[in-house]
Amino acid sequence: MVCVLFVFTAALGLNAADRLKVGFIYVGPIGDMGWTHAHDQARKIVEETFPWVETVYQESVPEAKVEGVIDRMIRRERCDVVFTTSFGFWEGTIDAAKKYPESIFAHCSGFKRLPNVATYMADFYQVYYLNGLMAGALTKTKKVGYVGAFPIPEVKRHIDAFTIGVREVNPKADVHVRWIEAWFDPAKAKEATNSLIDAGCDVFAFTEDSDTVVQVAAQNGFPAFGHYSPMYNSAPDYVVSGQLVRWELFYLDFLSKVYAGYYTSKNLENVDYWGLLKEGAVEVGAKFDMTINPVWKGRLGKTYDLVMQRLEQMKNPQMVFDPFAGPIYSRTGKLVIPSGERADYTHLLTIEYAVKGVFGAWPGEPK
Amino acid sequence: MRNDRMRFLKIEKRENPSWKVIVGVSIAAILLAFFIIGFVFVGYGINPVKAYIEILIETVGNVYGLTQIIWQSIPLMLCGVGLLLAFKTSFWNIGAEGQLLMGAVAATWVTLFSGFPGFIMIPMIFAFGFAGGAVWGLLSALLKAKFRVNEVITTLMMNYIALNIVLYLIHGPWKGDEMRGFAYTNSFPESCCLPTIGITYIHWPTLLIGLLSICLIFLILTRTRLGYEVKVIGQSRQAARYAGIPYFRTIFWVMLISGGLAGIAGAGEVAGVHHMLRHPDQVSLGYGYTAIIVAWLARGNPPLVILTSFLFGAIYVAGDVLQLSFGFPFQIVNVFTGLILFFLISSESLMQYRITLRRKDD
Repeated sequence: MVCVLFVFTAALGLNAADRLKVGFIYVGPIGDMGWTHAHDQARKIVEETFPWVETVYQESVPEAKVEGVIDRMIRRERCDVVFTTSFGFWEGTIDAAKKYPESIFAHCSGFKRLPNVATYMADFYQVYYLNGLMAGALTKTKKVGYVGAFPIPEVKRHIDAFTIGVREVNPKADVHVRWIEAWFDPAKAKEATNSLIDAGCDVFAFTEDSDTVVQVAAQNGFPAFGHYSPMYNSAPDYVVSGQLVRWELFYLDFLSKVYAGYYTSKNLENVDYWGLLKEGAVEVGAKFDMTINPVWKGRLGKTYDLVMQRLEQMKNPQMVFDPFAGPIYSRTGKLVIPSGERADYTHLLTIEYAVKGVFGAWPGEPK
Repeated sequence: MRNDRMRFLKIEKRENPSWKVIVGVSIAAILLAFFIIGFVFVGYGINPVKAYIEILIETVGNVYGLTQIIWQSIPLMLCGVGLLLAFKTSFWNIGAEGQLLMGAVAATWVTLFSGFPGFIMIPMIFAFGFAGGAVWGLLSALLKAKFRVNEVITTLMMNYIALNIVLYLIHGPWKGDEMRGFAYTNSFPESCCLPTIGITYIHWPTLLIGLLSICLIFLILTRTRLGYEVKVIGQSRQAARYAGIPYFRTIFWVMLISGGLAGIAGAGEVAGVHHMLRHPDQVSLGYGYTAIIVAWLARGNPPLVILTSFLFGAIYVAGDVLQLSFGFPFQIVNVFTGLILFFLISSESLMQYRITLRRKDD
């Protein structure tokens, strides 16, 4: 595919580069087991795959320092492309992009674009739905636990998709939520998990950049779903499945287009990459190539077939199924997605409501 | 019989270490810390000389580096000189971080919710910022003076309360409707954004206030009765009581100023750099805690705070250089500041004692 692109662009006489130096700006440490770690794994894959790419990175960059880091990346390190991997970096990215109109930028999870700033995102909500189907089948107490990071639309969307899945299989089950107000905080995650266990939960999912929830659940004999990184090895007998991401699909695609001269610093204004199951950007599994842990497959019963069916439906390029398809009611009784409709991109990106079946505090819940 | 050839060194206490000694020993301690860090570089397979040269080029050696150092040293300067005053009276204010955050909260309220007319916004931002930090600091002063509650504990614990107040506000009532559900307030309107030097982040009104505060604290300590009372209480509360110096009233003024200056730093950050209220760990990059070393290193001399805040601003930027150009993990900055503090404390004893040769008839 990439070779065809080169021939095509060479034929068109577009300006291709010889080498590319690429800078990555991370919001957290590369040693976490979540967001930043996954971006860094993708960065390494890019370096291994393309001999003409050289990368540099800086981790745990505070939001106010992004512009300064970009200054150094472009001036001193002579980067051609810079990736900023956090919503909060939008101001620094846009201001720097205006300062360096010849350089190329891509802002992850952002929405502001410029001729030299593209945006990109991979989202888990479909994968969480599949995990929810499994959780609904596995829970005996009818209480599923979820340890959430921050009450922002991205996490709320994931919890809602998860709950829709749980309720589809087990209409009487509830999802209990605890917020830890951090992306990375093993101590708080442990506390939250124990609190959910005390409340009677027996299956666990979460949004936190470590495998603490998996470990605490396993220590108590409960199954859990890994988050972001393959967490099978943290508890091979207790990780049922999880959410996995392949950021390299975006980076390889984007960088090869820059290299071929197809993407330039003038034509990125409408480049917005939104990766779901059908793009291959995200996957469901306890680790790559293990969709469902064989230890738990038997316990799922008929739900296993349902999960596989839904997975194929969502991977279909036409996306014949989506969890956010009406009628969907919020837990306050409001019809948030009418019958016969699907939530569109904007709706998904700005979800604030909790669906029926979610229990617990929900900051910012609309009336 | 004494063996004079063995005991040829004598250690005696120095009465009043001269300025030359204090500066000399402090600089030696810092240089020693840099030397030890050189071994960390070697451990990473990096030539320490190359690393330090790169650091010098990228920090003080070019405009970009200098501007970054300066904007980061503004809150260090304000918090630092306020802490210097508190430490002079032996009131161990560990709460500059929380006082800074409360100043930021107050400034945000003025900007987004007060409805003041445009032309008094910026003065009000600073006034309310001062008030926010001052009130926060005064609570600990009250508890110490009236109930003898240890101020290290109260000021430190109140940092966490302030942090959680900010979290509550940005996730709840103050969450901006323009922010796609993310935890930020709306952006401040133009009239509430502090002017900066060119396209840098240097919000000069706050810098000016910082420099004026240093002059003010210097004058207070050297020329006023309050300064005299502060110093006596700092040396000995007993002596102060015998001299009839009222403890609570002095501590009240000290913490009003100390907390207030940290509050101004917080107001400056949100109105000058971020133009919104965001996660507390983004608003303050540990400035309230680093300011403790900044204040301490100035050895009670307010004008030196300019130098020490610049030094620690440079260390922040040096850490960035090490991370990007040499691939160090982000904790390297903490290693730097930790080692410097370690050597400074260890060198304290060197300052207090003098080593000389023993004479024959001793």
